[in-house]
Amino acid sequence: MTTSVKAAIEVRALRKEFPVRDKGIFGPRGVKRAVDGLDLDVPRGRITGLLGLNGAGKTTTIKTVATLLRPTSGRVTVDGLDTVTDARAVRRRINLIAGGERMVYTRMTGRENLWYFGQLYDVPKKELRPRIDDLLALVGLTDVADTMVERYSRGMTQRLAIARGLVNRPAYLLLDEPTLGLDAPIARDLRRVVARLAEEGTGVLLTSHYLAEVEELCGHVYVISAGRHLAAGSPAELKAATGTHRTIRLTVTTPSPATAAVATRFGADLELLPTGAELITLRHPDDMAGPLAAAIVEAGGSIGGLEIAEASLEDAILALADGSREAATV
Amino acid sequence: MSHALRVFAAEALKQHRRLFGQPIVVFSMLVWPVLQLATTYYTLRPVATASPAAANWPLAADPDRLLAFLATGTLAYAFFFSLVQSAWHLSFERTTGTLELLFLSPAGRLTLMLANGAGALLQNAWLLTCFTVAALTGFGTLSVSAWWMYGIVFLALLIPAAAWGAFLNSLLVFSRDSAFLYTILDEPLWFVSGVRLPHFALPATIQVVGAVFPLTGSLIAVRGALLEHRTLAELAPTLLALLLLSATLLAAAALILRLGEARSQRTGRLGLA
Repeated sequence: MTTSVKAAIEVRALRKEFPVRDKGIFGPRGVKRAVDGLDLDVPRGRITGLLGLNGAGKTTTIKTVATLLRPTSGRVTVDGLDTVTDARAVRRRINLIAGGERMVYTRMTGRENLWYFGQLYDVPKKELRPRIDDLLALVGLTDVADTMVERYSRGMTQRLAIARGLVNRPAYLLLDEPTLGLDAPIARDLRRVVARLAEEGTGVLLTSHYLAEVEELCGHVYVISAGRHLAAGSPAELKAATGTHRTIRLTVTTPSPATAAVATRFGADLELLPTGAELITLRHPDDMAGPLAAAIVEAGGSIGGLEIAEASLEDAILALADGSREAATV
Repeated sequence: MSHALRVFAAEALKQHRRLFGQPIVVFSMLVWPVLQLATTYYTLRPVATASPAAANWPLAADPDRLLAFLATGTLAYAFFFSLVQSAWHLSFERTTGTLELLFLSPAGRLTLMLANGAGALLQNAWLLTCFTVAALTGFGTLSVSAWWMYGIVFLALLIPAAAWGAFLNSLLVFSRDSAFLYTILDEPLWFVSGVRLPHFALPATIQVVGAVFPLTGSLIAVRGALLEHRTLAELAPTLLALLLLSATLLAAAALILRLGEARSQRTGRLGLA
């Protein structure tokens, strides 16, 4: 009888607690629960997002998958290999790139850094040199490949760190805020690289505060709060499930009590702008731009501008986070 | 095995780049140890050659042999102290973040620590070794029982030094007080290991403390083989003790690494306590 192993990262009932001392080194011991019963799957060939507000447990989850942390309970496997008992085999299949990361050796050149890490990952000798050239080209560092990293700019160093994360051609790439601090063109190039890697079969687990990035890249998103699962699905499914609203922003150049009364009737927010105009913001599931504009004109107001923003993943995450907080305070 | 060798090569490159940023490195590799040797020699010579001292320590009566004694001490000390320095530098990788990348990689932890120390040895000690051998030959103070005893001398320095390096690296990567450890392993290493004075001249308690440091045994073996015409059979007890001490240091390093990494995985902090 053979047991089939799913080609994926599987996180099951993961709980991670850190020991803490409340008052200095002699204070009472306690525990801080960073992840609480989390389940998630990262199959190959898909970019999976992990979202949540600060302190939600995203980095702890990623570090646990990366074998840098050990689960307090629960289990994490990579292609069926346990991250605790088969850590060394897991490390060959994964790599981690953290945002703002400049963790490379400054007294070595870019090429030497990649060679160094290629040796640590035991990349076959014949493959290592061409792969280093490819990676340097990928992150746009070919011209400075043989320059000491201490002469690199911050962005160049960060790009080298990204190349470092790809040196072992990982089956699973863990990206913790990978575009943090990158210039827009470089961030865009990195997104293209990540998308291409996923197309070629790499499983990617991505956390990012740039939700537009997650929306652009991720086929599936997990939303967590305080280490607990809140919701999961595609970005479109999450937006639909949270019933998030489109946002209408209407500028009234001749505000009056009558226009304010219209805004109140529609349940919109009012804000007086420095120019003397009034900004009406309405969040609503339906397209209320027409009726609102007509009512304002009927009340004697002049419309200076109208902007309609469709619901975004950010709105969905905020709605989920708000819901989670309200549930916690009930 | 081939992966381990590749880790050694990688660490050797890293150490080379760390040390050879500027040509001035020759000062720390040769000029500084030679200055220390000269200072020690000219401080010790008036006392050592005085008749009461020479009666207890006959070697001291001959200035050339005294210089050879101190030169071998300086050489062996350079081997071991280069490892203290490299361990101190490795501990900085905690703050630069590269240490986490080492732990993220599939490279064996003990292999990494050994490779880091061996890389430092390779970069640091070769120039002084060449200088010392040339100087001893020039002074005519070498007294070696067989040509292959040079190999024994090399191994008596290399194996304990590598084990010492792995032990220190393991200790310092998990220590928040690396500066403190660096300080206590500098001057005491000179003193308790008999770098400047023969081991028998030290107080009994210091001799016991010195026995814990592999430099002590290495010095006895190096001086015995190079200056005292000792044979392999005569040095066998010392070499065996050195081997045991090296094995103990490696076992301790492996244990520290296992405990340190397990604790770091549990607490999220690199530290032993």
